[in-house]
Amino acid sequence: MKAAYIMQKEIRESILTPKGFLWYILTSIILSILSYLFLTNSELSLLDQGQMLYMIMNFITALGILIGLVFGSDAFAGEIERGTLEALFLSPVKKTQIAAGKLGAAIANWVIIFAISLPYLFVVGKGGQNLLIGIAYLAILGTLLAIIFSAFSMGLSARIKSMKNSLIISFFIFLLAGSPIFLSAALRKTWFGRVLDLINPFADAINTFDSVVIDSQGFSYQAGRVAIICGYTLLSLWFLKRSVSRLEM
Amino acid sequence: MITVENLVKRYDGYTALDGLNFSVEEGDIFGFLGPNGAGKTTTIRILTAIIKADSGNVVINGHDVFKEPMAVKEIINALPESNGYYEWMTAREYLEFFSNLYGEEMSRQEIDSLLEAVGLHGKEGHLIRSYSRGMKQRLGIARALINKPKLLFLDEPTNGLDPKGRRDIHDLLMDLNRKQGTTIFLSTHLLDDVERLCNRIVIINYGKIVRAGEVKKGTIEDIFFLSTKEGML
Repeated sequence: MKAAYIMQKEIRESILTPKGFLWYILTSIILSILSYLFLTNSELSLLDQGQMLYMIMNFITALGILIGLVFGSDAFAGEIERGTLEALFLSPVKKTQIAAGKLGAAIANWVIIFAISLPYLFVVGKGGQNLLIGIAYLAILGTLLAIIFSAFSMGLSARIKSMKNSLIISFFIFLLAGSPIFLSAALRKTWFGRVLDLINPFADAINTFDSVVIDSQGFSYQAGRVAIICGYTLLSLWFLKRSVSRLEM
Repeated sequence: MITVENLVKRYDGYTALDGLNFSVEEGDIFGFLGPNGAGKTTTIRILTAIIKADSGNVVINGHDVFKEPMAVKEIINALPESNGYYEWMTAREYLEFFSNLYGEEMSRQEIDSLLEAVGLHGKEGHLIRSYSRGMKQRLGIARALINKPKLLFLDEPTNGLDPKGRRDIHDLLMDLNRKQGTTIFLSTHLLDDVERLCNRIVIINYGKIVRAGEVKKGTIEDIFFLSTKEGML
């Protein structure tokens, strides 16, 4: 219950402060531009609905991860820097409850981003194949990725205690996670590229979207990648719990 | 109320507290003095169960701080030296949030009377970001009183306040001590705070107690004079 109060406070902070609200506005603007380009640009219009849906799903997932990393970096280091964490620690709330509340708010942020993106997904993917199953996969894997990256960056924020430094490391991790996008198709097919794809939860998610939306493959094809993402989820939660229980002012 | 025995805390080889021993009686306004870096804030953070000591014992109202931190947090509260605020909240929302964390939903009237006690009545609907430093300090004290603590830790509560603001805080603390029997542990640099409020003091330097005693008229100047002369304050 105490974690719920922390979560409520964090969500209100996201919505009521310009810092948080700006992300939602930006998400809407970027998705609007992207959808407009997809639907009007003649070259992009050669893509079928499935491919457009796949591309916008990747983008929404990346945005969810980025926002999770930014909010996670602020979670403990930001509160230490603003001098607000000590009052929280003075109250009879366990550190793990504080972390749970903050993580709950990070997930809620992802849910808001997902809800904002739904109309765009329907517009871009309308009439194409696998729209609903694609959205279901985005909801599940996007939530797991939001947990992974938010929990990891919160843990980092608790250990480093500097928002600037945890933000820099988080952005580095974001680039690392996005590396499959930068690698050429040929490089991704080498053994190194395959290993990199397999151990990277973001790559696992986008390969799953590709398999589900474009190749129409069933769950048995996705099970391995989904299991890896679930493994990362547990690992990130363990990292957060360990980092927070060691946190001292 | 508080018993501290052989308290030791080290940070990366630096000894912040070096075998600290003292006790605070119920009903005291206990002055905890020392120069910057003497270990005052570290002591308060250990006593309020925010950080752990490397060794030693701390018992507050019969509870071991290291073994029963949650039980201790239920009966104490504190105003840290650099207390930050959720500036996007109103004072009422701020107090409601913290009262929820204590599992006590405060009624509107209870919050009003708490804000009145600290002199913020009528300002409860204003965003904290619009508050002056003195008003924020009062709100911090209101937050520290939310669970009706038996023991209140205050780390430099009058720092940066004008003379009237300081006097108001003094009156509020004396009221709390006399009317509600709240024991107050006060860390301060200011002679005026000690003279007006404290009945007992301890002076620490390099994590050790260098002077301790009761505050009687005329003696406080001597203690301060000697401590200043020896470079401790």
